[in-house]
Amino acid sequence: MLKQRWQLAWHFYRQASLQQRLLTWVQGILLVFILTLSQTSASIQAYLAQNLDQLLGADVVLSQAMPLSDTQQTALAGMSSQIVLTQSLELTFTHQQQWQTGLLKAVAADYPLQGELRSSLDPSGSDTSSSRGPMPGEIWLDARLFSSLALQIGDILSLGTSELMVSRILQHEPDRLMQGHSVQMRALVHRQHLAQLQRPGDRIQHRYLVAASKAQIAQIRDWQQQFLPAAELYHKQGAHPLALFWQRTENVLGLASIVLFFMAAIALQQLSRLQRQREHFFTAVCLSLGASRPTSLQIAIGKWLFGVLGMLPLALIFAMACHWLLVDWLAHTFTDLHWRFNPSLALQTVAACMLVFMLFQLPLWFSLQQACVRQLIQPSPQPMHQGLFLLSAFGALSAIAAYYSDNLLLTGMVLLALLSCIGLLLLLSWLLLTAGEKLSQSFSGLLPFVLYMMKQRLMSKSTQILGTGLAAFLLLFTLMLLKDLGNSMTLYQRQHDGNLLVSQATSAQMADIEAWAAAQNIAIRQQKPFLYAKLTQINGVALAQTQHKPSDSLASFNQPIRMHWTAQLPDNNRLSAGEWWPAGTANWQQLSLEQEVMTDLGLKLGDRLGFVIEQQQVDFILNASHVYQSGVGAITFWVQVPPAILQHVQAPRYSMASLELTAAQFSQLSALWQKHPSLRMVSLQELTARFDRILALVTTVISGFVVFISLLAALVIVISVHAVESQERKKNSVILSFGLSKGTCLKLNLLEWLITGAIAGCGAIAATWLAGSLIYQSQFALPYQPNFIWLLATLLILLSVVTALGFAVSQRSLRASVRQLMQE
Amino acid sequence: MAYHLKSRIELCGVSQTFSQNAQQVQLFQDLTLTIAQGHSYAITGPSGSGKSSLLMLLSGLAQPSTGQGYWLENDSRRPLAGLAKEIGYIFQQFHLLPELTALHNVALPLKLRGVKHAEQLAKSWLDKVGLGHRLQHKPAQLSGGEQQRTAIARALVFSPKFIFADEPTGNLDSQNAQDIADLLFACCEEQGAGLVIVTHSELLAARAEQIFNLAQGHCQLRQSKLQEVYRA
Repeated sequence: MLKQRWQLAWHFYRQASLQQRLLTWVQGILLVFILTLSQTSASIQAYLAQNLDQLLGADVVLSQAMPLSDTQQTALAGMSSQIVLTQSLELTFTHQQQWQTGLLKAVAADYPLQGELRSSLDPSGSDTSSSRGPMPGEIWLDARLFSSLALQIGDILSLGTSELMVSRILQHEPDRLMQGHSVQMRALVHRQHLAQLQRPGDRIQHRYLVAASKAQIAQIRDWQQQFLPAAELYHKQGAHPLALFWQRTENVLGLASIVLFFMAAIALQQLSRLQRQREHFFTAVCLSLGASRPTSLQIAIGKWLFGVLGMLPLALIFAMACHWLLVDWLAHTFTDLHWRFNPSLALQTVAACMLVFMLFQLPLWFSLQQACVRQLIQPSPQPMHQGLFLLSAFGALSAIAAYYSDNLLLTGMVLLALLSCIGLLLLLSWLLLTAGEKLSQSFSGLLPFVLYMMKQRLMSKSTQILGTGLAAFLLLFTLMLLKDLGNSMTLYQRQHDGNLLVSQATSAQMADIEAWAAAQNIAIRQQKPFLYAKLTQINGVALAQTQHKPSDSLASFNQPIRMHWTAQLPDNNRLSAGEWWPAGTANWQQLSLEQEVMTDLGLKLGDRLGFVIEQQQVDFILNASHVYQSGVGAITFWVQVPPAILQHVQAPRYSMASLELTAAQFSQLSALWQKHPSLRMVSLQELTARFDRILALVTTVISGFVVFISLLAALVIVISVHAVESQERKKNSVILSFGLSKGTCLKLNLLEWLITGAIAGCGAIAATWLAGSLIYQSQFALPYQPNFIWLLATLLILLSVVTALGFAVSQRSLRASVRQLMQE
Repeated sequence: MAYHLKSRIELCGVSQTFSQNAQQVQLFQDLTLTIAQGHSYAITGPSGSGKSSLLMLLSGLAQPSTGQGYWLENDSRRPLAGLAKEIGYIFQQFHLLPELTALHNVALPLKLRGVKHAEQLAKSWLDKVGLGHRLQHKPAQLSGGEQQRTAIARALVFSPKFIFADEPTGNLDSQNAQDIADLLFACCEEQGAGLVIVTHSELLAARAEQIFNLAQGHCQLRQSKLQEVYRA
């Protein structure tokens, strides 16, 4: 019996209608996107796990700014078979008039502990394995640093007081895991030179590469948590430091896929009316022939199932191709990342997607229970169906949001941005069509008629406008807003902060900068002091145990952060909660935290935050929260404390500062760097270049996403046209029956699509402007000044594309005639 | 209206054939017929005899397989395709646009032609067909009879010279059918429009000035209250 029903379902599936095919397309696009996302993410996570295994260069790596004390060194030695120390310092290398910021790593004869150190005599030459690092008096530079300083093998490079000979090109360090994702240039020297180079206040990162068994790893972990909570520890059984970052990336993209599912919901809502008519008719006929309801329900489910299973191979092939392209692109960032398809994950993804698709189909299947023979005689609307559809769509979207949500703030922001855009597009559609219809009511002609008809079909028109408007919004948001953001940031920063930012200077370095600036007649625009502190506990609980979800703030708090002391609330900050301390307060164990960080870490006023400052554990009460506001400089700090801290905590003090230099003065900087190689200064040009690199990455990712959105938008247009095709054809036939020509129908159609495109375009631009203003205001407190020529050009392009596509897919409805009306 | 000012439709020796399953099927052959503005005509015949096809030939919507169709006016003879703007249609299924109110359905042809005060004119026509109280109702809220009244108002509102009605009472009960027939004939007479009705209803056909019967490929005049000449 069941077999017969499945055979029937198969028979009807093979006679698939256009609706069935469109439904398959919508589901297929969603499946390709989710499969690509999950497979790519799995590839990266697998790569990171492998990377951790191969590039740790040790069984355990312990890293902190301070060297281990003798006692700590002895304790660690007791839990391991060998320890190798590497030290690194970020500094500026200078050679003649060239300079370049990079990381100097110092090692001794015992390096490397595990793995291969590879070097060559030529930047592009073949590399060889070296059993040890550079000898005293030598320096090895990586190929990029080597060429950016225009060096030759055998040249002498001055670092502070040391004169080092460039003897080899550094090709590979076996313990580069921690820098695996960084593009920072690097050099390797013997440890004795770092000691000569070091100046008071220089922050040298000490990394202990430890050989240990599994049991010893566990022992070291416990020991570190107890005695060195501020240190970072990585081990082969643990998670890659980048794993959370990529989890976050997947989650953001997953959340963004709500847009895709939302558009799919629009498309399916349009389709459901036609599907319901067909299925109800079929069920009613079956019932009139004596079949039972379960039979027709099983046939309907069978048809859907065959549709999904039928498109599965194609969706898998497309997803694999997209996955391959993405891995190929990501291989620039992760060398040795290889394409690998994960069948079990694919199976899970397909199953999860099918569940969501089923949720969308549920209202239709449910409504079949209400189908009866009476409907063959007297069709009646079923309002319950729409309510159930909305409920199902809401359920499906909520499930996706819940699955990908790791941060309430981020989820809230993404959903709010989407809802605002949707709300705006709907409001605009309603407002413009209503106003257009009202104003043109007393006029005759094609335009008033089109406006009237569009207003009457507000529901289906709104979905077309929503589909195209959302796609256009995302496209505009990516390409235009980020570009404008970059330009405004650069301009703003230059106006307020000059073109050179000192990101870390010791007291001695700052004194020399001041002297140099005075000599060059340069005003120092801003200068703010800070010390380094590492957050270790929240309300007495270790940080790692309080935070289980990835966040940007957590990623930063895994490293020591800059703690600023100040009596008054800085001019570029605004108090958002709590109370700022009175000037001269003796209560130094209180702090103010950036509001966004508080939200990210789930903190509230009154929480106790434990920091380690220069090996001293200090607790602070969270008494205030601040937000950044523009206008008086961009240097701001997440954590601010009263100046009284200086009387209780002994730690190196640093400064951040900003200056405005002329082009000629930039070349004078070499003198400062030669004297202070560890002085961290970055030019606006470099900052802009970094921003542009990030922008390029973000734009590529979102552009890929927009391809999926555009596909779905096109499908939404096709489906929405298909959904009203019979009404549209009838309308055209009736118009022809008034003696009007096909040209009139053509003009009406063109006008309708032009209005649809114009509303969608205006909505998208308005939404982009709104989002832009909000982001500028909330994040940078800047006025958003879009480029109107660009906007107009975008609107025209959008208008042409939507009109052309809409017009093309409406051709079937234009094949109308009075004959058809007579034949009905 | 003086006869020489009236428009006429002439079919001269027309035949209509079509292909079905690789076979040529002949609906009718060598048919000559004249329809004059201001008079009423009924075409009857069994299902499949080609009544609707004849209606389409008369209205210029279809081209005959052989023979010619003309529109004659002011002593000029023009192809039937040029008649399109002078014709109104009434269908068995009414074919009102479901999104529009009765008023807007009737105003539609006027608005599309750019006629000023379209809604006022439409309102007066709805008053005329007895639907002055249903102006803002959509087709789904109207009965079958009311829908057909609206369709009649819509067909006549732009003063066409001919009205072609395909089974206009086919979907109505006998009382409604009678009322609609009264209305249709009265309105056409008042407007001086030629009325061509395709129907199975003998009662409706009997109200026309001439009745043609189409059967087995031939069209015969069954009854005439006119002094017109036809050849079949």
